[in-house]
Amino acid sequence: MASCAVEGGCPSDYVAVSISILSIILLLAKAVAPYLIYKIPRPKGSSFWLVAIQVLASFNLLLSIVMALNFLKFKGRHWWNSCYIWAVWLEGPLGFGLLLSCRIVQGFQLYNIFVKRRLPPIRSYIFLPLVLLPWIAGSVFIHMKKPLNNLCHMGTQWIIPVICLHALYIAVLVGLTGAVQHVEFRFHELKDLWRGILVSACCIGIWVVAYILNEVHEEISWVQIVSRFLLLVTTSILVLAFFSISLSQPLVSLMSLRKKDHPEYETMGHALGIPDSGLLLQGEPTQFADPNEPLDKLLLNRKFRQSFMAFADSCLAGESVHFYDEVQQLEKVPDNDHVRRIYMARHIIDKYIAPGATMEVNISHRCRQEILSTLDLAHPDLFKNAVNELMQLMKMNLVNDYWSSTFFMKLKEDMRTVNHELEEFGGWNFSHRLSSVHCADDPFHQEHSPSKPDSNICDSDLQ
Amino acid sequence: MGSLCSRQRHYNQADSEENAQTAEIERRIEQETKAEKHIQKLLLLGAGDSGKSTIFKQIKLLFQSGFDEAELKGYIPVIHANVYQTIKILHDGAKELAQTEEDSLKYVISDENKENGEKLAEIGARFDYPCLTKELAQDIEALWRDNAIQETYSRGNELQVPDCTQYLMENLQRLSDTNYVPTKEDVLYARVRTTGVVEIQFSPVGQKKRSGEVYRLFDVGGQRNERRKWIHLFEGVTAVIFCVAISEYDRTLFEDDNKNRMVETKELFEWVLKQPCFEKTAFMLFLNKFDLFEKKVLQVPLNVCEWYKDYQPVSTGKQEIEHAYEFVKKKFEELYFQSTAPNCVDRVFKIYRTTALDQKLIKKTFKLVDETLRRRNLFEAGLL
Repeated sequence: MASCAVEGGCPSDYVAVSISILSIILLLAKAVAPYLIYKIPRPKGSSFWLVAIQVLASFNLLLSIVMALNFLKFKGRHWWNSCYIWAVWLEGPLGFGLLLSCRIVQGFQLYNIFVKRRLPPIRSYIFLPLVLLPWIAGSVFIHMKKPLNNLCHMGTQWIIPVICLHALYIAVLVGLTGAVQHVEFRFHELKDLWRGILVSACCIGIWVVAYILNEVHEEISWVQIVSRFLLLVTTSILVLAFFSISLSQPLVSLMSLRKKDHPEYETMGHALGIPDSGLLLQGEPTQFADPNEPLDKLLLNRKFRQSFMAFADSCLAGESVHFYDEVQQLEKVPDNDHVRRIYMARHIIDKYIAPGATMEVNISHRCRQEILSTLDLAHPDLFKNAVNELMQLMKMNLVNDYWSSTFFMKLKEDMRTVNHELEEFGGWNFSHRLSSVHCADDPFHQEHSPSKPDSNICDSDLQ
Repeated sequence: MGSLCSRQRHYNQADSEENAQTAEIERRIEQETKAEKHIQKLLLLGAGDSGKSTIFKQIKLLFQSGFDEAELKGYIPVIHANVYQTIKILHDGAKELAQTEEDSLKYVISDENKENGEKLAEIGARFDYPCLTKELAQDIEALWRDNAIQETYSRGNELQVPDCTQYLMENLQRLSDTNYVPTKEDVLYARVRTTGVVEIQFSPVGQKKRSGEVYRLFDVGGQRNERRKWIHLFEGVTAVIFCVAISEYDRTLFEDDNKNRMVETKELFEWVLKQPCFEKTAFMLFLNKFDLFEKKVLQVPLNVCEWYKDYQPVSTGKQEIEHAYEFVKKKFEELYFQSTAPNCVDRVFKIYRTTALDQKLIKKTFKLVDETLRRRNLFEAGLL
């Protein structure tokens, strides 16, 4: 019994190690499951890396505890048995420190976006190492001074500053969370932050107790065994509880694993509760597809917008129309509801404006910079210039070809069937209207002649 | 076909009609697939503002039925939009330069044109432009002649001033006429940023003759966000016509104020050359906008562009222009051979000097391209 307390290999040790392995597996499953089950593509940028770093840091933390406290019996002393690798480096800068730094980065981003209403001035991949710097400095210092005994315990005068460093980071996290707590988040951001604080505070409490017991009663073997067993098991549980998927933005939490909590959302607009726009009212005359109308008025109608969007998608030019659609949804959010406006604006920026975005739109450099460096994400005119530029683009490129496309003909057919049901309006014959308009200045005038030799890709089946 | 005939014996009269129809449809499908194989796919690639859509329009003019009056009139809003946008860019540019430059007085618009300028800038900021009336045209002309605007125009390479500015401003009277019908030249000068993909099908010997090759030409947008759509077109391409605006060595991108256009084109050309689908594809490099290059190279030295920094001018006048052009051509040749893997060295690569606005030149150039492709096809079929 005595030997296993010192060298490791007690049955309780093996139980604890297997619990920690189980928790790592569960952690990986929790991280990877939304992507596998819902087949969402892997996100790029900070939302992927921060989560990956969290998983790695959790693994490091557990491994450091296992190795530093001699859970496993190793024959002889190898160079990698060194206490400093496990108890100092892996536990600090690569374990607990990294975990808390990720959360601090998240808190900082939320603070910038929702309280100061601008995009974070420092990129997270620069900010994270900066936050980690004190840990690295501390580890270097300890490594040079070498205060650890061969049981990997530090003296009391070393434990106190180490615990203080741990507590400092928790205090910083509490401060950041306090700064954003008045914001009404739509997804679980605040809950995650508080949970993270609670978890790490519990962790510290238990460690303090365990360290004290370990240090003070170095000779009593059962104290050693029990305290390190408790340490590992509680750390395993808390590492699981600490984990959060949506560190920098609530994308994956739009699709939850527990369906009864939230239904599946397809768009950010749905997730924020913005109603669809432009339903054709009963009394409205059905002449919406009038080529004389300016494009922005036509796009207000939902059926036209959907048909036009499908046409643009077929010509690989759909992003402009989708962008316009989502900006319209943004405009429906009332001006004083800053939080929802900021969510929607941020979503639009990530999807359409950021260089390299999936549906990046064709706007000038100045326009893009104005949006990315704005001082107020909730400003009502944030996207006005971009919308103007893209309306021009749509008018010059897509609209003329749309009138002679199959999509428009299908729309006419649909409206004709609706027309028959609304008997107040004598049948409007759309093709009649189109070809009878002859105006020198009419930009949308188009001879309705499918025999034109040129076409957009979508019309190749017409030939 | 043989199996169909043998099956017919087992069916009665009504079914045999259906079979005949099916046979007819199958034969048509076979014909079309054979025809499809003979359609040669051409892609117009290049950075933004390199002249791809102008070449596209030229091909339409040359080998299809050209533009009828309705189509020409359809370009009126485009041309008017160009006018409004250009004068707005110049006006806003002048204001900005007046604030940031030390010698700011020469960029300050004179008092009588100030109000005009503000009004025109406000019009240019809308997305629904008014029709260009004689009155507005006069205002625009007055603003254009202002010294500040002319000074700003001379620094047009720092702003995103379109190439057609001079042409539009000189023809304002004609463009604002109530019965204005754009000429072919107007249509070619009109500037629209392409988004998405546009295609036409044509035959260089005219549609009546059946023995000619059939080409399907695709035009794309050149800005960075448009390039991720190019990949959908890369399969089975006979030839890539890569357009380069050689006059743009001192300008920055529309979508990124910090990148030189020539350097971007160089990187883009490298990227296109290294694509695996283009192993057997012919590359026709169109060194475009030669007319603007001629004028610019005598005033702005080539070495302002970092890719051309080893350029040494040797003389003046026409000789210098030729020397500069040869230098640029050699740079692109070197780039081509650097970026071509050993397994692609036998693909066709030709360089042409073009001015997309010149119809005769484009016709001649395209005939050369057509000849090259036909020779290559015969070679591949083993007949040469």
